[in-house]
Amino acid sequence: MATLNLTEQEYIDRYGPNPAHTPAGGWDNRQPDKLVKTHCCFCGVQCGIQLKVKENKVIGFEPWEEFPVNRGKLCPKGVKRYMQNEHPDRLKAHLIRSLDHGFREASFDEALDKTVAEIQRIQGAYGKDAFAFLGGASMTNEKAYLNGKFARVALQTANIDYNGRLCMVSAGAANKLAFGVDRSANPWSDIPQAKVIILAGTNLAECFPILTDYVWRARDNGAKIIVIDPRITPIARTADLFLPVRPGRDNALAHGILHVLVQRSWIDESFIANHTSGWENLESLVAEYTPEKTEQITGVPAQSIVAAAELWGPAETSMLLHARGIEHHTKGVENVLSYINLVLASGRIGKPGSGYGTITGQGNGQGGREHGQRCNQLPGGRDINSPPHRQHIAEFWGVEETSIPQEGLTACEIIDAIEAGQIKGLLSISFNPLVSIPDSERTRAALEKLEFYGAIDFFMNETARHADVVFAGSLQEEDEGTVTTGEGRCVRLHNSVSPPGDARRDWEIICRLGQKLGQEKHFSYDKAGQIFEELTAASKGGPIDYSGMTYQRIEDEMGIFWPCPAPDHPGTPRLFENGKFHHPDGRAKFHAYPYRPPAEDIDSEFPLFFTSGRVVSQYLSGTQTRRIGGLVDQYPEPLCEMHPLLAKKLGIEDGDRVRVVTRRGDIELPAQIVRSIRPDTLFIPYHWAGKKAANRITNRALDPISKIPEFKVCACRVEKIGPPENASTSHGQ
Amino acid sequence: MPFLDKKAAIAGTVLAGLVALAVFTGSMGLRHFDPAVTLYTVGSILAAFAVGYRFTLWAQRPPSRMYFLRGLQILTRRGPRAIRQSQARKKSLPEATLANATGENFVAQNFIRRRSTYRWIMHLCLSGGCTLAFAITFPLVFGWVHFSSPPNDAEIYQVNVFGFAVDQFPVHGFKAFVMFNLLNFAAVLVLAGLGLAAYRRLTNAGERATQTFMEDLLPLILIFAVTVTGLMLTVSYKFLDGAGHHLMAIVHMWSVLVLLFYIPFGKLFHMFQRSCSLCVSLYKKAGADGARAHCVRCGDDYASQMHVDDLKTVLDQVGFNYRYAGTKGEVHYQDICPHCRRRLLALNQGTTLRR
Amino acid sequence: MASDLTNEPSADVEAEEEVEFFLDPSRCIGCQACVQACAECDTHRGHAMIHLEYVDRPTGVQTAPVVCMHCEDPTCAKVCPADAIKQDDEGKVHTAAKPRCVACSNCVLACPFGVPKMHAEFDLMMKCDMCYDRTSMGKKPMCATVCPSGALYYGPRAYVEKYRQESPTREFHFGAQTVKTKVNMMTSPEVKALPFDVLDFLPWEGESETDASEDLFATIRSGAPNAASAAVWDHALTEHL
Repeated sequence: MATLNLTEQEYIDRYGPNPAHTPAGGWDNRQPDKLVKTHCCFCGVQCGIQLKVKENKVIGFEPWEEFPVNRGKLCPKGVKRYMQNEHPDRLKAHLIRSLDHGFREASFDEALDKTVAEIQRIQGAYGKDAFAFLGGASMTNEKAYLNGKFARVALQTANIDYNGRLCMVSAGAANKLAFGVDRSANPWSDIPQAKVIILAGTNLAECFPILTDYVWRARDNGAKIIVIDPRITPIARTADLFLPVRPGRDNALAHGILHVLVQRSWIDESFIANHTSGWENLESLVAEYTPEKTEQITGVPAQSIVAAAELWGPAETSMLLHARGIEHHTKGVENVLSYINLVLASGRIGKPGSGYGTITGQGNGQGGREHGQRCNQLPGGRDINSPPHRQHIAEFWGVEETSIPQEGLTACEIIDAIEAGQIKGLLSISFNPLVSIPDSERTRAALEKLEFYGAIDFFMNETARHADVVFAGSLQEEDEGTVTTGEGRCVRLHNSVSPPGDARRDWEIICRLGQKLGQEKHFSYDKAGQIFEELTAASKGGPIDYSGMTYQRIEDEMGIFWPCPAPDHPGTPRLFENGKFHHPDGRAKFHAYPYRPPAEDIDSEFPLFFTSGRVVSQYLSGTQTRRIGGLVDQYPEPLCEMHPLLAKKLGIEDGDRVRVVTRRGDIELPAQIVRSIRPDTLFIPYHWAGKKAANRITNRALDPISKIPEFKVCACRVEKIGPPENASTSHGQ
Repeated sequence: MPFLDKKAAIAGTVLAGLVALAVFTGSMGLRHFDPAVTLYTVGSILAAFAVGYRFTLWAQRPPSRMYFLRGLQILTRRGPRAIRQSQARKKSLPEATLANATGENFVAQNFIRRRSTYRWIMHLCLSGGCTLAFAITFPLVFGWVHFSSPPNDAEIYQVNVFGFAVDQFPVHGFKAFVMFNLLNFAAVLVLAGLGLAAYRRLTNAGERATQTFMEDLLPLILIFAVTVTGLMLTVSYKFLDGAGHHLMAIVHMWSVLVLLFYIPFGKLFHMFQRSCSLCVSLYKKAGADGARAHCVRCGDDYASQMHVDDLKTVLDQVGFNYRYAGTKGEVHYQDICPHCRRRLLALNQGTTLRR
Repeated sequence: MASDLTNEPSADVEAEEEVEFFLDPSRCIGCQACVQACAECDTHRGHAMIHLEYVDRPTGVQTAPVVCMHCEDPTCAKVCPADAIKQDDEGKVHTAAKPRCVACSNCVLACPFGVPKMHAEFDLMMKCDMCYDRTSMGKKPMCATVCPSGALYYGPRAYVEKYRQESPTREFHFGAQTVKTKVNMMTSPEVKALPFDVLDFLPWEGESETDASEDLFATIRSGAPNAASAAVWDHALTEHL
């Protein structure tokens, strides 16, 4: 059913991605009608920005210097983010697949009716769980809540999950295991007060550029910076200590550092005794990880491991920040827990300048995982497997507890189940799994097996080309709502313009589907604010409590940190003050996981590590950023980074076309010969589709706890194909 | 700098003298000179002095002088080896380059069209209208052209240029209509250009932020004053039986005089300065055909060797010394390409901080 | 008080009326936010005036952001044959006056910092004017407003002096030439004038170019750490490549 019936070029001609350098009508330098104070639509910093609006079109931006997190600062994506609303590729009508030539335009009602009929047909024939829902973490809290409610109440399917499964879940799961709650422990304003900062597996300067300034302010205060990464990223270049870890060895490195801390007695014994549990197991585990043994595993010189401990151990204050580099592994949760061990052992958490934070990749990476959009979660961060939690939400929604499905499959497992023929229908929103899930040829095969696929998005992403129905949804600036940033601050998004043409606000599409599925009373909202009021009420008393928040308060206070359980509660920027953690016993937990190798390690056939990541000018699967000309120019196509030592051995020169092969497939692209990567490792950014997709070759092996795929390490080999296609192309400028 | 530049003063005097001489001889010893326009003529002669003075002052500056010198050398096939070398290749005649540049830059003004079509139309209206108006008024005022009727036929006009009859046509014919209204057509063209310019200066956020009264607004106001008062003269005598004609004539004259005196001191002087662009066109062509300069750091071709060498001379003349000397050798900073200079800035700064 | 700990520009320094531009390329992360934002300016929308490029991507990720330094005695204006480059009363050196510029490229070649850009298609030089349209209205320049790393900072000198570990200088020595600028360059506190060295960065004849990639632990230039020299690379695993 869902096979493509146009050529790649035909899809691009009709729906893009076509990089646009100016808005559809050209530059508009007139005085704007209004400046809308809102936030960037991209990463989890959610920078404040003002959009210039003229005649219901976004025509430009103006920095918003009063917003305290970024104070007007922006990355290139933020500067150019305004270019989407007036983009020629913007979907302005709903589309229904027509058998011979792509799509035809359809009325909103026709698209809804067809979708509802297919949902009912599939669920009638194969059972409720045969229809799955995939959400996204770039959407507002309101939509995340609504998606969860829609799946449980209207679809009644267990199989709802979201693309945060590819991003934040290892950190989230580890946070819950270690601290009993899933949130960064500190506001970012604590970073400049830290005297030592570990940046573990975070290409901070490219993926979270605004925090670069926080790190430099810390350095101005005398802080030392330790960067752990197989690549010398821009933040690593000037670091005080760089630990070039071999891919897939992160928790061994943490154990190695902790070994030295124990040996030198740089641990806070009273904190461990009074506020933690599980230390003994860990202590005996790390005893094995001598610097020499750790060097053997991790490839980090023993003296560097000792140096890291010497910086971290005696410091007065400290922050640990980590990201996908340690999380995108089949032991992602174990890696995160191992680094959290360093924080807990030092006792430096819950104090100004001391603590812990994760770098959230997606715009609402934090909020998107809190309100019931995940397969194992109900609103308020509640557990779908916990009878009291189920009962509470069933009563709140006014449904039978038994009607709420049990825990379902996670995002990658849903794709696997489609491939296996167990799931027959899919509705996705703001998710482009064909680009973002590993082993993309298998994803393509799975999509082709679907009996019905409905996609909601504002641009025609590559996965949506396979859809039977494409709903024209809303850009972030075409709706209002809230998002929760990487530090746990819930901020307010303002409506700048209304959706163009027949495009609808996402929540309106979901609600109309819910209504047509016979659940009118559960999906009758007039505006996003009503969903927010329901969301906050639903969260009351839960682990993630928003019940004291209102739009007005969030706006007035420039964001509120949860938990905020009452209207007069100021919010909670810093968690765990006075050593109080959220486990029932009030203690934090150490976890002792010995090092184990990645799911696929290098061998004689595939002797090199392959790792993937981002570039600063692109965002996630590129649905938005591959359409913005200025960003495309910055880094037009994927390049394969490799060290000159390796290149020389293989006779590869800068710009040569190479083929990178893994057990899943191969990718052909130009080589970029740089000294900034380990000689045994190749790196390709993942933002592109089709033949340029790095995820053609990555490994879909999952972490047993978080079910995150192992994007960051697999085994590969590389071979030279030939000289550069176009000799005049300069790379990486 | 002395109060009065001697060379410039001589140039100004010569130019003013030439204009005066042209007025005297062109009007057949003032026989065809209309005393009513004496002030215009005196004003023009004084303005000619100012233009000559200002132009010479400017053209004597080392960088300008270098381009005029090289331009002349290229045209006369003399000068340094680089020029002669490039001539030897005979790729194109400098006269052709010059003709092409004149057509492109002065007539078609294509460089403005590439900057913005709007501004191109605006500028063509303004420059075309003004040029036409001056081409009509100067010869009339200076007495180079005058009209007379043959003694036997009052219905025929005869055009006399420098005292010679060149054409004649019926007083009420189409040609006469065009002839007598040409100035009004020019005025309409100028007004259209002024309208476009005013709209841009009022609405474009960038222009509003950067424009200044003396440079950007005053010339428009002056041209507007001249144009409107000129048109009012026609309106007055055609439709209002000459009402207010005398007053309007005085206002028109003074606005013209102010405009004439503004030319050498303000934005409008660019009409003379752009002559340098012709030399630059010749220079670039010769440079492209001649030896190239390669950056001593990265090896890239970044300019013509002649340009780099000439700039070294000009830098010395204007008092800069970007020379390096060390144990390894000597380098002139001009031999490093701009791209490398930017990278060297980061390298040097990083070195001081060990980053 | 909080601002003291977090190094936020706060009331005590923001009260200063005098604001200046401070450039610290060593903090640059090469993100190009400045380039993208510069191209959003009303006076030259679609064209960035700021320069940002890799110093040498093969050896590292160091990047060089360069704005116009606004020299006290601007070389570009002195070598302009058409009087097209003007310095205003505040010392800002403006972009070429459109009617005057004859696109000769003298300024492009003469500027010690490599700032002016020749737009051949327009026969026009365009350069950074420190966002005259914004700064003249009390706003910050686009690039320094958005810069996420602090490499470009526009604000009171008091902030920089109080919180930054580096010190600003406005003097540069290009061989025999001293250049004083309006824009500050951050450098080591003991450096009063930035020595703009050239000779050490040139390939001199007779000096064989040492191939640092051959020797894992070869000393490499500051600013370009080599992942290989820091990493323990297991030769055995990749020997048969």
